[in-house]
Amino acid sequence: MGIAQNVIFGLITGSYIAIAAVGFTLIYGLINMINFAYGEYITIGGYVGFVLASVADLQIPLVIVLAVPLTAVIGWTLSRAFFTPIRETGPIPLLLTSIGLGLILRNGVRMVAGAKRRFFEFQQATVFQFDVLGGLQFNTSSLSVFAVAVAVFVLVHVLLTRTRTGIAMRAMGDDETLAEVAGIDTSTIRSRVWLLASGLAGLAGVLLGVQNSVGPFLGYDQLLVVLAAAVLGGAGSAYGAIVGAYILGIAMALTVGILPTWASEFGTTVAFVVLIGVLLVRPEGIAGKEVRRA
Amino acid sequence: MRTPITRRDAMKALGASGTFALAGCIGETGGGENQTVLLGQPTVSTSKWDFLQPAVTAATEMTIQEVNDAGGPLGNDMEFKQRETALKPQQARTVVQQFKNNDGATVIGGLLSSEVTPLVDFLTSQEIPIVSNWLGTTAVDTRGGDHGTPDDVSDDEWVWRTQISDSIHTAGAAQKMVSEGYENVAILNGTAQGERSWADAFEKWFTNGGGEVVNRIEVEEGKSTYKAELDRLFEADFDAWGLATGLNDVVTILREWSNAGYGGQLILEDALRDEALIENAGEQAEGAWIASPTGQGPAYDAFEEKYKSFKSDPPALHAWAVTCYDMVNVVALAAHRAGSADPTEVEKNLGPVTRQGGTTVSNFADGKEALDNGDEVQYQGAATPCTFTEYGNVLGNVAIERVTPSAFEQVDVIPASDLENVLDEY
Repeated sequence: MGIAQNVIFGLITGSYIAIAAVGFTLIYGLINMINFAYGEYITIGGYVGFVLASVADLQIPLVIVLAVPLTAVIGWTLSRAFFTPIRETGPIPLLLTSIGLGLILRNGVRMVAGAKRRFFEFQQATVFQFDVLGGLQFNTSSLSVFAVAVAVFVLVHVLLTRTRTGIAMRAMGDDETLAEVAGIDTSTIRSRVWLLASGLAGLAGVLLGVQNSVGPFLGYDQLLVVLAAAVLGGAGSAYGAIVGAYILGIAMALTVGILPTWASEFGTTVAFVVLIGVLLVRPEGIAGKEVRRA
Repeated sequence: MRTPITRRDAMKALGASGTFALAGCIGETGGGENQTVLLGQPTVSTSKWDFLQPAVTAATEMTIQEVNDAGGPLGNDMEFKQRETALKPQQARTVVQQFKNNDGATVIGGLLSSEVTPLVDFLTSQEIPIVSNWLGTTAVDTRGGDHGTPDDVSDDEWVWRTQISDSIHTAGAAQKMVSEGYENVAILNGTAQGERSWADAFEKWFTNGGGEVVNRIEVEEGKSTYKAELDRLFEADFDAWGLATGLNDVVTILREWSNAGYGGQLILEDALRDEALIENAGEQAEGAWIASPTGQGPAYDAFEEKYKSFKSDPPALHAWAVTCYDMVNVVALAAHRAGSADPTEVEKNLGPVTRQGGTTVSNFADGKEALDNGDEVQYQGAATPCTFTEYGNVLGNVAIERVTPSAFEQVDVIPASDLENVLDEY
């Protein structure tokens, strides 16, 4: 199988990254903070999903339906407890607090749940083979992930462009002071951003957990790639984050599929080479606002 | 009229009191040799092999209790202390130094391949015996031990292991594959030292046996998916494939392999012989082979009985817990024979208590009695005969097992005698 098949693998990998990256970039764009604890929100989502699947014995679709709002509430609660009180102190205290919170959550999860990784019950997939483009293979598991991701992007797009909350979010992202003057309740909007971003992290956590396993480092291991996708897309742009995530996903898959086999372990490295290459040409990212040079 | 205290007076007083305190410290350590054997045990509770640690800890506790119930080495209770390395070489290095310098450990009882391989020279320089129940890497096949001169430590490399080398059981695995008529294989392995060691050794023995490795891919472990790696591997045409990564990744890989319907006979790395594999991917891996040390030496039955009755619900037993029993016993016997808890004296006696001849013993109580009577002892282990070679290695049988959805089923045992000549030096 050739390039096309690897592009498909990249689209699947990109789907996980993109869901998480949209949430991450919403926090950056609207709350104006880089949340290094975001990886742990993904982890919490994975564990919430695992508990629902294994203890409550629920099917994956229902697990997703329940885990996303639960993680959203947990994420919102954490933001109220740790970030809201210091919101006015500037980006550096917020950044350091998020790093500290991430550390606390990561080790807290390890203390409560143990270091042992947990596996969702295996979902046997149906395989579809096509003799085109050097041979293509899909299976229901991969298609489900991609379909969920697309559905999420459509919902986020509708939310941002067709609802009062979304329009208020965009207004706040453009100019918070002006939005306040225009009568937008920025405090409420910030709460909704936290709910939305944490819910997306929860969804990414469940999907990653089903695909792989759930452990204390589930989200932390993905954070660097999620951050890279957000930066590549243009920090603050949800659409850019989606494009950035898929570019990185495809770059990682093509590394494995095309480069000599000895280079197959360098997928993530190649993804970051792509990131740096793009930023050298376009410092504002794919969909970011133009950077002003002094 | 009181004379005011000058700065000079204060400095004199401080100097005198400091000297006095220092003399007290020196007196504390210099007043007689410490006769308590302390085993420093590095742990991997927060690594990809975390699932193996509980049984190793239980086996250590059980064996030390058994040793102490028999009076302990040098008539004192043996002690042990654990420190976590997280399977990181740099952390392992720090842990070894802490055991040696802060805790005053007699012996380090542990360390895995991924930790030892980059640290061999450092470990040798520390001049404290490292007796590992984990170590399988081929990197120490000819590094370690006392070089056959127990009384002369100048040529010692201080690393010993009660687990057989990857060279031995991968030779068994390759032998099995060749005998079953497989002519070409592919290998998918992680980049950690343990996985590379297994893959390198398996490739070497399979090629030596007349087979061909047609494709080999190394993967970055911890990824969310391995679809692209599997697709690349299965581009080649082969009869069977070998897989060596940590358990978490193996479960993901096996599930994706099953979902994609690639097929092919599979052989797994020995470290994956754990109930967790059956529990999480037993159905997907059904029919796969796994070649691993049997972990069943001359004294296995007695050990198993004691282990199972030690706790009401002991952690599932695996090969590294059995080798742990041997590790604790040889350390205790070596210290008792040495008449000292000094690391160098224990180093001089590790070889002799397993290969000197004399009374054959399989536990500390019998060994202590023999040594107290002036006899020599030859320890016979629970996992292997545990006869240390000059490089600090042991030989043991290799089991070939088949994975079923509910268990590992033994299909063949390759005796150590069939494999002892695979290496020129060992």
